[in-house]
Amino acid sequence: MRPTLTRRGALGGAAALALASCGGGDPPPAGKPRAGSGAGLLTSIVALEHAGVAAWAAIGEALRGDARRYARSIREREIAHAERVAGLVRRVGGTPPQARPASEYARLFPRLNTEADALRFARDLEERLVRAYLEGLRLLPDDDQRRATAEIAADEAQDLAVVHALAGGPAAPQPFVTGTL
Amino acid sequence: MSLSRRQVLIGAGAGALGLAGPAGAAGSDQLERLLGLERRLAAAYEAALSRDAIERSLGELLLGHEREHIRGLEQALGRAGPRATAPPPKVGVDFTTRRSFARSALELERETVDTYQDVLTTFHDDRLLQPLGSIMACGAQHEVALLGVLGEDLLQRN
Repeated sequence: MRPTLTRRGALGGAAALALASCGGGDPPPAGKPRAGSGAGLLTSIVALEHAGVAAWAAIGEALRGDARRYARSIREREIAHAERVAGLVRRVGGTPPQARPASEYARLFPRLNTEADALRFARDLEERLVRAYLEGLRLLPDDDQRRATAEIAADEAQDLAVVHALAGGPAAPQPFVTGTL
Repeated sequence: MSLSRRQVLIGAGAGALGLAGPAGAAGSDQLERLLGLERRLAAAYEAALSRDAIERSLGELLLGHEREHIRGLEQALGRAGPRATAPPPKVGVDFTTRRSFARSALELERETVDTYQDVLTTFHDDRLLQPLGSIMACGAQHEVALLGVLGEDLLQRN
Protein backbone atom coordinates (compact mmCIF):
# COMPACT_ATOMS: atom_id res chain seq x y z
CA MET A 1 0.00 0.00 0.00
CA ARG A 2 1.26 3.43 -0.85
CA PRO A 3 1.89 5.46 2.30
CA THR A 4 -0.18 8.59 2.69
CA LEU A 5 0.65 11.67 4.68
CA THR A 6 -2.30 13.16 6.53
CA ARG A 7 -2.60 16.87 7.18
CA ARG A 8 -2.25 16.13 10.88
CA GLY A 9 0.86 14.09 10.25
CA ALA A 10 2.32 16.79 8.06
CA LEU A 11 1.75 19.45 10.70
CA GLY A 12 3.16 17.26 13.43
CA GLY A 13 6.21 16.48 11.37
CA ALA A 14 6.68 20.11 10.54
CA ALA A 15 6.43 21.05 14.18
CA ALA A 16 8.94 18.44 15.25
CA LEU A 17 11.32 19.52 12.51
CA ALA A 18 10.88 23.18 13.37
CA LEU A 19 11.48 22.63 17.04
CA ALA A 20 14.50 20.44 16.43
CA SER A 21 15.90 23.17 14.19
CA CYS A 22 15.28 25.80 16.82
CA GLY A 23 17.26 23.98 19.47
CA GLY A 24 19.79 22.08 17.42
CA GLY A 25 21.68 24.92 15.85
CA ASP A 26 22.68 26.64 19.01
CA PRO A 27 26.35 26.69 19.93
CA PRO A 28 27.64 24.71 22.88
CA PRO A 29 27.81 26.53 26.23
CA ALA A 30 30.21 29.46 25.97
CA GLY A 31 31.40 29.03 29.56
CA LYS A 32 33.47 26.12 30.78
CA PRO A 33 31.25 23.85 32.83
CA ARG A 34 32.82 20.66 34.12
CA ALA A 35 32.24 17.44 32.21
CA GLY A 36 29.16 15.52 33.31
CA SER A 37 27.59 18.57 34.93
CA GLY A 38 24.45 18.40 32.80
CA ALA A 39 25.26 21.74 31.17
CA GLY A 40 24.85 20.43 27.62
CA LEU A 41 21.38 19.03 28.19
CA LEU A 42 20.26 22.05 30.19
CA THR A 43 21.52 24.35 27.44
CA SER A 44 19.52 22.48 24.81
CA ILE A 45 16.42 22.74 27.01
CA VAL A 46 16.87 26.50 27.34
CA ALA A 47 17.08 26.74 23.54
CA LEU A 48 13.93 24.65 23.20
CA GLU A 49 12.12 26.83 25.74
CA HIS A 50 13.08 29.97 23.80
CA ALA A 51 11.55 28.37 20.72
CA GLY A 52 8.49 27.46 22.80
CA VAL A 53 8.02 31.06 23.90
CA ALA A 54 8.08 32.20 20.27
CA ALA A 55 5.79 29.35 19.26
CA TRP A 56 3.19 30.21 21.90
CA ALA A 57 3.13 33.80 20.65
CA ALA A 58 2.33 32.48 17.16
CA ILE A 59 -0.21 29.99 18.53
CA GLY A 60 -1.95 32.73 20.52
CA GLU A 61 -2.32 34.84 17.38
CA ALA A 62 -4.35 32.03 15.80
CA LEU A 63 -6.63 31.53 18.81
CA ARG A 64 -9.55 33.49 20.25
CA GLY A 65 -11.30 33.97 23.58
CA ASP A 66 -10.32 31.68 26.44
CA ALA A 67 -7.93 29.76 24.23
CA ARG A 68 -5.97 32.94 23.49
CA ARG A 69 -5.92 33.79 27.20
CA TYR A 70 -4.48 30.36 28.00
CA ALA A 71 -1.90 30.77 25.23
CA ARG A 72 -0.70 33.95 26.93
CA SER A 73 -0.56 32.23 30.33
CA ILE A 74 1.38 29.28 28.96
CA ARG A 75 3.80 31.59 27.15
CA GLU A 76 4.47 33.34 30.47
CA ARG A 77 5.14 29.97 32.08
CA GLU A 78 7.59 29.05 29.32
CA ILE A 79 9.45 32.31 29.87
CA ALA A 80 9.75 31.45 33.57
CA HIS A 81 10.95 27.93 32.72
CA ALA A 82 13.60 29.27 30.35
CA GLU A 83 14.86 31.60 33.07
CA ARG A 84 14.89 28.86 35.69
CA VAL A 85 16.82 26.41 33.51
CA ALA A 86 19.17 29.18 32.40
CA GLY A 87 19.94 29.69 36.08
CA LEU A 88 20.87 26.02 36.36
CA VAL A 89 23.24 26.37 33.40
CA ARG A 90 24.96 29.31 35.10
CA ARG A 91 25.28 27.37 38.36
CA VAL A 92 27.45 24.78 36.67
CA GLY A 93 29.61 27.42 35.02
CA GLY A 94 27.94 27.57 31.63
CA THR A 95 26.47 30.43 29.64
CA PRO A 96 22.87 29.81 28.60
CA PRO A 97 21.84 30.59 25.02
CA GLN A 98 19.95 33.78 24.30
CA ALA A 99 16.65 33.80 22.43
CA ARG A 100 16.89 34.43 18.71
CA PRO A 101 14.84 37.14 16.98
CA ALA A 102 11.19 36.12 16.71
CA SER A 103 11.38 36.21 12.92
CA GLU A 104 13.99 33.45 12.91
CA TYR A 105 11.68 31.11 14.77
CA ALA A 106 8.58 32.16 12.83
CA ARG A 107 9.94 31.06 9.48
CA LEU A 108 10.44 27.54 10.86
CA PHE A 109 6.93 27.13 12.26
CA PRO A 110 4.08 25.50 10.32
CA ARG A 111 1.41 27.75 8.85
CA LEU A 112 -1.40 28.17 11.37
CA ASN A 113 -4.47 28.93 9.29
CA THR A 114 -7.06 27.74 11.76
CA GLU A 115 -7.50 27.25 15.48
CA ALA A 116 -7.25 23.51 14.91
CA ASP A 117 -3.84 24.02 13.23
CA ALA A 118 -2.69 26.08 16.20
CA LEU A 119 -3.83 23.51 18.75
CA ARG A 120 -2.11 20.68 16.87
CA PHE A 121 1.11 22.66 16.82
CA ALA A 122 0.66 23.44 20.52
CA ARG A 123 0.13 19.77 21.31
CA ASP A 124 3.26 18.73 19.42
CA LEU A 125 5.27 21.48 21.10
CA GLU A 126 4.14 20.52 24.59
CA GLU A 127 4.73 16.82 23.94
CA ARG A 128 8.28 17.71 22.93
CA LEU A 129 8.79 19.77 26.07
CA VAL A 130 7.41 17.03 28.32
CA ARG A 131 9.76 14.54 26.72
CA ALA A 132 12.77 16.84 27.16
CA TYR A 133 12.13 17.24 30.88
CA LEU A 134 11.43 13.53 31.46
CA GLU A 135 14.72 12.72 29.74
CA GLY A 136 16.33 15.28 32.02
CA LEU A 137 15.14 13.32 35.05
CA ARG A 138 17.16 10.36 33.87
CA LEU A 139 20.24 12.18 32.62
CA LEU A 140 20.88 15.10 34.97
CA PRO A 141 23.32 14.31 37.78
CA ASP A 142 22.36 16.79 40.48
CA ASP A 143 19.40 16.61 42.90
CA ASP A 144 18.58 20.30 42.46
CA GLN A 145 18.60 19.92 38.69
CA ARG A 146 16.24 16.96 38.96
CA ARG A 147 13.93 18.83 41.36
CA ALA A 148 13.59 21.66 38.85
CA THR A 149 13.14 19.22 36.00
CA ALA A 150 10.40 17.30 37.82
CA GLU A 151 8.51 20.46 38.72
CA ILE A 152 8.70 21.86 35.20
CA ALA A 153 7.72 18.50 33.69
CA ALA A 154 4.52 18.67 35.75
CA ASP A 155 3.90 22.21 34.45
CA GLU A 156 4.42 21.09 30.86
CA ALA A 157 2.07 18.14 31.34
CA GLN A 158 -0.56 20.56 32.59
CA ASP A 159 -0.02 22.86 29.62
CA LEU A 160 -0.51 19.83 27.40
CA ALA A 161 -3.69 18.95 29.32
CA VAL A 162 -5.05 22.43 28.68
CA VAL A 163 -4.33 22.01 24.97
CA HIS A 164 -6.20 18.68 25.01
CA ALA A 165 -9.17 20.33 26.72
CA LEU A 166 -9.21 23.30 24.33
CA ALA A 167 -9.26 20.82 21.44
CA GLY A 168 -12.39 19.25 22.92
CA GLY A 169 -10.85 16.06 24.33
CA PRO A 170 -10.19 14.81 27.84
CA ALA A 171 -7.51 16.79 29.67
CA ALA A 172 -5.77 13.58 30.75
CA PRO A 173 -6.19 11.00 27.99
CA GLN A 174 -3.34 8.63 28.91
CA PRO A 175 -2.13 7.00 32.16
CA PHE A 176 1.52 7.55 31.22
CA VAL A 177 2.47 10.94 29.80
CA THR A 178 5.65 10.19 27.94
CA GLY A 179 5.87 13.11 25.55
CA THR A 180 5.94 10.68 22.65
CA LEU A 181 4.76 12.34 19.46
CA MET B 1 -6.29 -8.28 16.44
CA SER B 2 -4.59 -4.91 16.44
CA LEU B 3 -3.58 -2.78 19.39
CA SER B 4 -4.74 0.80 19.62
CA ARG B 5 -2.19 3.57 20.17
CA ARG B 6 -3.63 3.96 23.68
CA GLN B 7 -3.09 0.27 24.47
CA VAL B 8 0.46 0.44 23.16
CA LEU B 9 1.22 3.50 25.29
CA ILE B 10 -0.28 1.92 28.40
CA GLY B 11 1.73 -1.22 27.84
CA ALA B 12 4.88 0.78 27.28
CA GLY B 13 4.38 2.79 30.46
CA ALA B 14 3.59 -0.08 32.79
CA GLY B 15 6.08 -2.28 30.99
CA ALA B 16 8.88 0.21 31.46
CA LEU B 17 8.40 0.00 35.20
CA GLY B 18 8.23 -3.78 35.16
CA LEU B 19 11.19 -4.30 32.87
CA ALA B 20 13.32 -2.13 35.09
CA GLY B 21 13.23 -4.94 37.62
CA PRO B 22 12.69 -4.74 41.37
CA ALA B 23 13.95 -1.60 43.04
CA GLY B 24 16.61 -1.81 45.72
CA ALA B 25 15.74 -1.60 49.41
CA ALA B 26 16.07 2.18 49.67
CA GLY B 27 14.12 2.66 46.47
CA SER B 28 11.46 0.23 47.62
CA ASP B 29 10.52 2.43 50.57
CA GLN B 30 9.96 5.35 48.24
CA LEU B 31 7.96 3.25 45.79
CA GLU B 32 5.84 1.90 48.66
CA ARG B 33 5.05 5.48 49.61
CA LEU B 34 3.92 6.25 46.07
CA LEU B 35 1.94 3.03 45.85
CA GLY B 36 0.02 3.91 49.01
CA LEU B 37 -0.94 7.28 47.54
CA GLU B 38 -2.01 5.72 44.22
CA ARG B 39 -4.16 3.20 46.06
CA ARG B 40 -5.76 5.99 48.06
CA LEU B 41 -6.63 7.80 44.83
CA ALA B 42 -8.06 4.64 43.27
CA ALA B 43 -10.17 4.00 46.37
CA ALA B 44 -11.45 7.58 46.29
CA TYR B 45 -12.49 7.37 42.62
CA GLU B 46 -14.12 3.97 43.17
CA ALA B 47 -16.14 5.32 46.08
CA ALA B 48 -17.06 8.47 44.15
CA LEU B 49 -18.32 6.39 41.21
CA SER B 50 -20.44 4.23 43.50
CA ARG B 51 -21.97 7.38 45.05
CA ASP B 52 -22.40 9.30 41.78
CA ALA B 53 -19.99 11.92 43.14
CA ILE B 54 -18.16 12.17 39.81
CA GLU B 55 -19.38 12.15 36.22
CA ARG B 56 -19.16 8.53 35.14
CA SER B 57 -16.91 8.78 32.07
CA LEU B 58 -14.41 11.04 33.84
CA GLY B 59 -14.44 8.89 36.97
CA GLU B 60 -13.82 5.72 34.99
CA LEU B 61 -11.01 7.37 33.01
CA LEU B 62 -9.20 8.62 36.11
CA LEU B 63 -9.76 5.36 38.00
CA GLY B 64 -8.37 3.43 35.02
CA HIS B 65 -5.24 5.55 35.11
CA GLU B 66 -4.76 4.97 38.84
CA ARG B 67 -5.07 1.23 38.33
CA GLU B 68 -2.39 1.36 35.63
CA HIS B 69 -0.11 3.33 37.96
CA ILE B 70 -0.68 0.78 40.73
CA ARG B 71 0.07 -2.08 38.36
CA GLY B 72 3.29 -0.42 37.21
CA LEU B 73 4.48 0.34 40.74
CA GLU B 74 3.70 -3.19 41.90
CA GLN B 75 5.77 -4.52 39.00
CA ALA B 76 8.63 -2.21 39.90
CA LEU B 77 8.51 -3.47 43.49
CA GLY B 78 8.74 -7.07 42.32
CA ARG B 79 7.42 -10.14 44.04
CA ALA B 80 8.54 -8.99 47.48
CA GLY B 81 6.02 -6.18 47.39
CA PRO B 82 3.56 -4.75 47.84
CA ARG B 83 3.32 -3.95 51.52
CA ALA B 84 1.79 -0.53 51.01
CA THR B 85 -1.62 0.02 52.44
CA ALA B 86 -3.91 2.75 51.28
CA PRO B 87 -5.00 5.33 53.81
CA PRO B 88 -8.72 5.02 54.56
CA PRO B 89 -10.39 6.39 51.43
CA LYS B 90 -13.28 8.11 53.16
CA VAL B 91 -11.18 10.12 55.61
CA GLY B 92 -10.89 13.69 54.40
CA VAL B 93 -12.75 13.05 51.17
CA ASP B 94 -16.07 14.85 50.74
CA PHE B 95 -18.50 12.86 48.61
CA THR B 96 -21.48 15.16 49.27
CA THR B 97 -21.59 16.72 45.79
CA ARG B 98 -19.61 16.41 42.58
CA ARG B 99 -17.99 19.76 43.27
CA SER B 100 -17.00 18.85 46.81
CA PHE B 101 -15.55 15.55 45.64
CA ALA B 102 -13.62 17.29 42.85
CA ARG B 103 -12.13 19.63 45.46
CA SER B 104 -11.11 16.69 47.67
CA ALA B 105 -9.71 14.71 44.76
CA LEU B 106 -7.74 17.76 43.62
CA GLU B 107 -6.05 17.92 47.02
CA LEU B 108 -5.20 14.21 46.88
CA GLU B 109 -3.79 14.55 43.37
CA ARG B 110 -1.68 17.55 44.37
CA GLU B 111 -0.29 15.75 47.39
CA THR B 112 0.56 12.77 45.20
CA VAL B 113 2.28 14.87 42.52
CA ASP B 114 4.26 16.70 45.21
CA THR B 115 5.38 13.36 46.63
CA TYR B 116 6.47 12.13 43.19
CA GLN B 117 8.57 15.28 42.87
CA ASP B 118 10.21 14.60 46.23
CA VAL B 119 10.95 11.02 45.21
CA LEU B 120 12.24 11.97 41.76
CA THR B 121 14.66 14.42 43.34
CA THR B 122 16.39 11.84 45.51
CA PHE B 123 15.66 8.51 43.79
CA HIS B 124 18.76 6.98 42.25
CA ASP B 125 17.48 4.08 40.16
CA ASP B 126 18.02 5.57 36.72
CA ARG B 127 15.84 2.95 35.04
CA LEU B 128 12.74 4.05 36.93
CA LEU B 129 13.10 7.83 36.85
CA GLN B 130 11.52 8.39 33.44
CA PRO B 131 8.52 6.05 33.94
CA LEU B 132 7.88 7.51 37.39
CA GLY B 133 8.03 10.94 35.81
CA SER B 134 5.42 9.89 33.26
CA ILE B 135 3.05 8.89 36.09
CA MET B 136 3.69 12.18 37.89
CA ALA B 137 2.87 14.02 34.66
CA CYS B 138 -0.41 12.13 34.41
CA GLY B 139 -1.28 13.18 37.97
CA ALA B 140 -0.59 16.79 37.03
CA GLN B 141 -3.04 16.39 34.14
CA HIS B 142 -5.64 14.95 36.52
CA GLU B 143 -5.41 18.23 38.42
CA VAL B 144 -6.39 20.07 35.22
CA ALA B 145 -9.32 17.70 34.63
CA LEU B 146 -10.60 18.30 38.17
CA LEU B 147 -10.17 22.08 37.89
CA GLY B 148 -12.35 21.79 34.79
CA VAL B 149 -15.06 20.12 36.88
CA LEU B 150 -14.80 22.99 39.35
CA GLY B 151 -15.04 25.56 36.55
CA GLU B 152 -11.85 27.22 37.70
CA ASP B 153 -8.74 28.42 35.90
CA LEU B 154 -7.02 25.30 34.56
CA LEU B 155 -3.50 26.51 35.34
CA GLN B 156 -3.32 27.02 39.05
CA ARG B 157 -0.28 25.07 40.18
CA ASN B 158 2.37 27.75 39.78
